[in-house]
Amino acid sequence: MTAITLTSLTKRYGTITAVDDVDLTLPDGEITALLGPSGCGKTTTLKLIGGLLTPTAGTVAFDGIDQRDVRAEHRGAVMVFQDHLLFPYLSVGDNVAFGLRMRGVGARQRRRQAEEMLARVGLPDTADRHPDELSGGQRQRVALARALVVEPRVLLLDEPLASLDPHLRDGMRELILDIQREEQVTTVVVTHDQEEAAVLADRVAIMFDGRIAQVGTARELHDRPADAEVARFLGSPNLLPGVRSGRIVETAAGALEVPHGTAQDGPVLVTIRPEAIVVAPASGPNILAGRVRDARDLGARVQVTVAVGDTQLTLVTRPDALRALLPGSDVRIRLPADALWAMPAPDPAAELAFRQDVVEGVAPVDAGTRTQGAADADR
Amino acid sequence: MRTLLHDERLRPWLLLAPALTVVGVLAGGAIVQAAVRSVSPVRGSGETGLTLSAYRSLLADPELPRSLLLTLYLATTSTLLAVVLGIAAALALRQVAARSRWLTTVFQLPLPIPHVVGAVAVLALLGQSGLFSRIAGSAGLIDDAASFPALVFDPLAIGILAEYTWKEVPFVGIVALALLRSSRVTEQEAAARSLGAGPWQRLRHVTLPLVLPGVLSVAVIVFAFSFGAFEVPLLLGASFPETLPVMAFRRHTDISLAARPEALALSLLMAAVAVACVALAMRVARRTIREEGR
Repeated sequence: MTAITLTSLTKRYGTITAVDDVDLTLPDGEITALLGPSGCGKTTTLKLIGGLLTPTAGTVAFDGIDQRDVRAEHRGAVMVFQDHLLFPYLSVGDNVAFGLRMRGVGARQRRRQAEEMLARVGLPDTADRHPDELSGGQRQRVALARALVVEPRVLLLDEPLASLDPHLRDGMRELILDIQREEQVTTVVVTHDQEEAAVLADRVAIMFDGRIAQVGTARELHDRPADAEVARFLGSPNLLPGVRSGRIVETAAGALEVPHGTAQDGPVLVTIRPEAIVVAPASGPNILAGRVRDARDLGARVQVTVAVGDTQLTLVTRPDALRALLPGSDVRIRLPADALWAMPAPDPAAELAFRQDVVEGVAPVDAGTRTQGAADADR
Repeated sequence: MRTLLHDERLRPWLLLAPALTVVGVLAGGAIVQAAVRSVSPVRGSGETGLTLSAYRSLLADPELPRSLLLTLYLATTSTLLAVVLGIAAALALRQVAARSRWLTTVFQLPLPIPHVVGAVAVLALLGQSGLFSRIAGSAGLIDDAASFPALVFDPLAIGILAEYTWKEVPFVGIVALALLRSSRVTEQEAAARSLGAGPWQRLRHVTLPLVLPGVLSVAVIVFAFSFGAFEVPLLLGASFPETLPVMAFRRHTDISLAARPEALALSLLMAAVAVACVALAMRVARRTIREEGR
């Protein structure tokens, strides 16, 4: 049972700072996800926790004890790598038993424990097989068994689902959650996929450029992003720049009552989840008149784009509303005050960099449609 | 031609063809010719048809077993030395070379220098009238040059081994270093480390099993070279027993034409022994690597 504390953790390679002054507490027995785009320093952070890298500055502590002088092999923080890294010259059983062998456990007991653990990850009777004979999903399970068999204090998972086919991900995810529920081992999952983070983790820490941008439950991050960068990364399509004056934010789409978020008067960015926007309300505050630009039937729900002046808003509603939402028709929408969230306006330099990313196709502009496109491609 | 190269089954063969032709015509042709001439009677001997007399007189030569043993001893010892020291050097270089690139360069220095130069250097350094002998003499460690231990022209062939080691350790080392630096090896080492393997455990259970199969193919080249090379033993070896290549060379250049078929028979024998040794060593080494990993 181990709580992890990262204090001012920093890792530099020459002039590049991969992990930049990270302070983070990972509670005992919980799953914490490090979520962020590739190159944001999340895997480096994982390796720093595991002792596979030495920090340039700052500390990693397990239960308050600084791990600076504890070598990786003695930390009990076992890492499962993205591409399983099974030893190719060992059988599946010997792979799983590897850590036990390093601890001097006798051959008989190693074998017994390895077989037990293989059965637990759903691969009974595979001990004598060669890793090459297994599928990618099975190999990932063997890698997990190999880590769990040594009863680690901390389990470090680097993109555990990324190399798996979509239909294998659910099984692996359930397996990780089941085992974690039983063992209560403190777990850190690195992922670039927000859904994966949301499903697996109790808490999510979002990282950009080596810094932690926000920590919270997936719901908190989704509803109350700390800044525009987090909101954009999580695929929030509705970002309205405006100027706050008291409870009211003046936006290009109109004046909105925004009771939550950044309270300071001045420039802010307002966001709202597509599913929180209400179509054709009878009356109430925060009602905007717009025109339907586009309505897409996604099966279980309908995604509608509404133009309010020059501002576009994306909302999601039930399919039976589709008939009333033909493109070109007028529509009234309400942005419930409790669902609106104000963030500090991004500084102009960051905004410029973001726009360049968009031009180069790096950053997601509208994650709603993007995800849809990806799903189409998968089919 | 373009369409031929696009044929998935044909393409590898087409790409291999030039190399196969060279190997087939030169090496294969030479072996066939040597085989034919080794069983052909010498002109003027009065024999006709095919004869095995060259093989008979060769196998009757009392020098042959001793030469064979010496050659096998030299090739095996120098290969083992090159593999062990080469891997050790590569491991050490991987540790420090990130900081000092020049060290790797210095380590590779012997690679482009010809063996003959190395042999002459060994003579000048280790010979009884060589530099070390003179230093020992002026330091009062030995009375005269003759009491300096025989490191050249000696029965243990230390001079030859020294030259081979000087040249082959960098050869094995540079290949081992490339393997050690590959992400495949470093990532597996990290995985083992995370699972609790200490430095020596990682070396034994992860690094060596991953690196040895690659080093093995280099070891085969080193063995075949040491087994077949004649210039270094000619310069640094004792006059008796000779190594097999020196023996073959002497018969090739013998004034008597009758020795020619024997030289060819000996060359074929050497080729057969070398191939057999390599095949055996590969089998044993592969099995050992598999067992070691367990």
